[in-house]
Amino acid sequence: MSYQEKRTIVSIFTGFVILAAYCIYTLNRYNSGILTTSELKPWASTILIFIGIGIVASIVIQIVFHILLSISVAVVKKIQDESIDDEEIEKSINLEMVEDEMDKLIDLKSSQVGFFFAGIGFVAALISLVLNYSPVVMINILFISFSVGSLIEGFVQLYFYRKGIYHG
Amino acid sequence: MAKKFVISNNIRKLRFFANEMTQQELAEKAGASRQTIIAIEAAKYSPSLELAFRIADVFGVEIGEVFTYEVKEEKTNKGK
Repeated sequence: MSYQEKRTIVSIFTGFVILAAYCIYTLNRYNSGILTTSELKPWASTILIFIGIGIVASIVIQIVFHILLSISVAVVKKIQDESIDDEEIEKSINLEMVEDEMDKLIDLKSSQVGFFFAGIGFVAALISLVLNYSPVVMINILFISFSVGSLIEGFVQLYFYRKGIYHG
Repeated sequence: MAKKFVISNNIRKLRFFANEMTQQELAEKAGASRQTIIAIEAAKYSPSLELAFRIADVFGVEIGEVFTYEVKEEKTNKGK
């Protein structure tokens, strides 16, 4: 499995954990009566907090992932050749993490799919308002559709890395 | 009949004749990732013209010796 695939799996895992945490947290607070369908402000602040947590968690997890990957590459190189020097190990780590035109193309195409799903969520959120649902439903559809769109983007990336990608 | 454009390559053969050059070595010399070289070799990715020229340059051959292009006719079942 390549570096890009591992990194994508880590991103999907992070996104999934954040989304699951949001659902569990808001459901508990809704059941206990702290969050209601009549007041929008507590929901907005909860979503803002989770966006912040999501950004920080993604950065921290990516840093930890890169450190662990670097250590694993170094250990493998050291086992293969005990006389290898630090410069060679550093070069191997950098080569492992090279990103090129294929990665950019996959990134671009998977982003399109992700944004498409987020767009569907946006339309669904507007429809919910037209159908006289609470704005709380709308704001939740928006947040969840953007999160799911991001997860789908990750899965599409994995699909392209496995099945290949073509221009056009 | 629909036309299908297929780009095939001789990278595996060229690596063999270049002293069994590894995919990693080719990736380093061509300025791409090993993942991309693997995908190109397996015909799962068509490289940009620039990368195609760089790969040909690594082997010291013309681009036409690395990549070949052919048009295949495909039978379609539309309207049947």
